[in-house]
Amino acid sequence: MSNHPNDYIKPELMACCGAREIRDGDIVVVGTGFPAMSANIARYTHAPKATLMQESGVFDARPARPALSVGDPCLNPGAAMIGGLTDVMGMFLQGGWVDVGFLAGSQIDKYGNINTTAIGDYEKPKSRLPGSGGANPIGALAKKVLIIALHNTRSLAEKVDFITTPGYLDGPGARERWGLPTDTGPQVIITNKAVLRFDATTKEAYLESFHPGASVDEVVKLTPWDLRVSDDVHETEPPRAEEIRVIREVIDPHRMITIYEKRGYV
Amino acid sequence: MGKVMSTADAIQQFVHDGEFLFIGGYVCRPPFAAIHEIIRQKKKDLTITRSNAADDFDMLIGAGCVKRFIATFISLGVYGLARCYRRSIEKGIPHKIELEEYTNLSLPLMLMAGAMGMPFVPVKDMVGTDLMNIKSFMGDGKYKMIESPFDGSPVMLAPALHPDVAIIHVQQADEEGNAQMWGIGGDCKWGANAARKVIVSCERIVSRETIGKDPSRTIVPAFKVVAVTEEPFGAHPGYTPGFYDMDLAYGYLYKEASNTVEGFQAFLDEWVFGVKDRTEYVNHYIQKFGYAQYKKLQAKFDYGYPVSYTY
Repeated sequence: MSNHPNDYIKPELMACCGAREIRDGDIVVVGTGFPAMSANIARYTHAPKATLMQESGVFDARPARPALSVGDPCLNPGAAMIGGLTDVMGMFLQGGWVDVGFLAGSQIDKYGNINTTAIGDYEKPKSRLPGSGGANPIGALAKKVLIIALHNTRSLAEKVDFITTPGYLDGPGARERWGLPTDTGPQVIITNKAVLRFDATTKEAYLESFHPGASVDEVVKLTPWDLRVSDDVHETEPPRAEEIRVIREVIDPHRMITIYEKRGYV
Repeated sequence: MGKVMSTADAIQQFVHDGEFLFIGGYVCRPPFAAIHEIIRQKKKDLTITRSNAADDFDMLIGAGCVKRFIATFISLGVYGLARCYRRSIEKGIPHKIELEEYTNLSLPLMLMAGAMGMPFVPVKDMVGTDLMNIKSFMGDGKYKMIESPFDGSPVMLAPALHPDVAIIHVQQADEEGNAQMWGIGGDCKWGANAARKVIVSCERIVSRETIGKDPSRTIVPAFKVVAVTEEPFGAHPGYTPGFYDMDLAYGYLYKEASNTVEGFQAFLDEWVFGVKDRTEYVNHYIQKFGYAQYKKLQAKFDYGYPVSYTY
């Protein structure tokens, strides 16, 4: 078996990109789907001491199947601690203990601001979305935020219609002006075409790597802002054999990850 | 008169039009028996709140019971956007509810402040985002920005919340209302304790002696509780840890039904107005889907080690 098997699907590659951002020992707040998948890949490969929590109040769950929501029944038996929202979002997140947060959104902009509130005008929305939930505090307070998005000109935007969750707001210095903790903010946007990383100075997302099958030109074309391209832009490393084994044999034997293909992550 | 009563009596006596309700739950333990009773009794102009709302809030909104919603999030989980909620906001059907929007950090802390008798609470999220720019029925009272009197840094203060009534569903309670819960808590404990009175719906009523065998599990003390209702399977289609699983098939049924106004109405006619209480609801469920499906949802027991409090 080659070290990089080529029968993977795009959501698997994206989950691996997320996993590679997690360091051993990190405390990770996860939602469902990609975030939980990524965090678990990390745990079973390079970061065995990473621990997961769900905003609903769960620390170090041992679910027997992938959770369908952060309140899923399978998160209860076997967890190391169960409390409530003020425990995880208050004591741990606002308390400054969370290293990594994972977010997705209907609309993401070049500063990593996320909209999950409304498409169009807030008062007369074209589409009313669920709202912040835990996204705003995770975006505000986790040390590193990883963002999952579809790569097209609707999901990515120069400026989101509504900032539900803070990225770098309107650019350098904005988070600091609002008193958000230092050295926090979005790290990468992982899309179905590329990995965009945030520039330390301009706070804008730039192209770091394009996934196999995509190209710099294609990614630039699908990005609705003047996307800067890294000098050492390269192809994203495909899933390693060990990562694929962990996904298919340990974390997700029923292949629930394939629903992301149906949602356009191809 | 004792506190143990039917859900119908509890809602009739303690929930009034125009009041502010905290309704507990987080996929687990939504107090659906009480939700259906509120709809059956056609309560109106309610203000409702909890962090991460779901199908129960969507149903109350679709049924026209809600005027205002202090919200953080609402969806149907794996089944996507909340249909009745969207129709209310986007099209004014049955009417446009008023929204005040917070987050899953700030709202639980506001309920905690209410429970603790604190007038307000500093929160570190929300700042810099459009959640600051939208203010609805709470007006300038939605939050205040101050300079910290300690170090001059910008701090957001959010007001304490004091619901008139909290309705929660828990595993067990005694006849006086000492309520015990285990598993994912959401904002249930703070929401219940922030309220002026609490209606406790439970899977089973147990003795005071049973409560005393593991008192650390009690989240609401008897003196806050005005009514205790025994409603086995009372959180369905949500789940109750140790009792039954969430019902994804029924969730799909609700999603499909609530896609249209007519479908939603037919759903209410069948599952809310078509039954007189939770017992009839459960019977209807078994008749429609079979006893095997009902049985399949029931949890297998896997007891932990009993705890000892002796000295």
